[in-house]
Amino acid sequence: MTNYFHLDVELKLRDEDKAVVTPAYFLGSIEESLQSFFGEIGGQTDLQLIKFDKNQKRAILRVHEEFVTRTRSAITLIGHFQDIPCHFIIRNTSKEQLDF
Amino acid sequence: MVRIKNRYVVVRIVPEKPTNILKIDDAVLAKSVLRNVKKYYGDYGLGTVEHGFRVKYCNERTKIAIMRCLHRSHRTLTSTLPLITMIGDVRAKFHTLYVGATIIHCNKFIINHQQRFLDEMVGQIASAKERKDFIKRVMEFDLEQ
Repeated sequence: MTNYFHLDVELKLRDEDKAVVTPAYFLGSIEESLQSFFGEIGGQTDLQLIKFDKNQKRAILRVHEEFVTRTRSAITLIGHFQDIPCHFIIRNTSKEQLDF
Repeated sequence: MVRIKNRYVVVRIVPEKPTNILKIDDAVLAKSVLRNVKKYYGDYGLGTVEHGFRVKYCNERTKIAIMRCLHRSHRTLTSTLPLITMIGDVRAKFHTLYVGATIIHCNKFIINHQQRFLDEMVGQIASAKERKDFIKRVMEFDLEQ
């Protein structure tokens, strides 16, 4: 039994064409949100991007059990992606491996 | 009825350059602490600490201060204090001396602490009048409500 949680996260943008969505930018926006809401100490979370689909703007993230609540709240609170209004949807969470 | 628990943190401010009188305002102290809480614990940390936070006492001679915070946020506050290096525009650090549940306990602690401080300092003062003034200044302890 692993102590990791898998999150299926989807990005919904107001203006679909303007943003450049890459795995690094996707993960960066979540890490930036963690830093902003939980600070330098609180925001230190080991976040891994397992799978990424550019067309669906969807990713599978892996995070340690103790940081799930923090990561979920940080993801939910994101309001902008490259200055474009957006929101993230957490479609599924599981202790097992997830797929699209 | 739910009782609101507070914690009172007694700190000693240690400036980089030793001075007799440290000109630090309560508001400046509170602002610099909260700014650092925001830096290290983000908006969430600031939100938990800010509610109920207050600098209750600050003695510019002994450089001792009392800060009040809610019981649920005192760990966030006490873990931020050692990371602070600037208070206002003075380079200084905090030494946490005591964490108490009531201000009376902090008061008792400070009186003991200041008594020790006086024992060390009084020997260095020659004239009797100066010594009397010094004792009066150190032991004055009025908490504005």
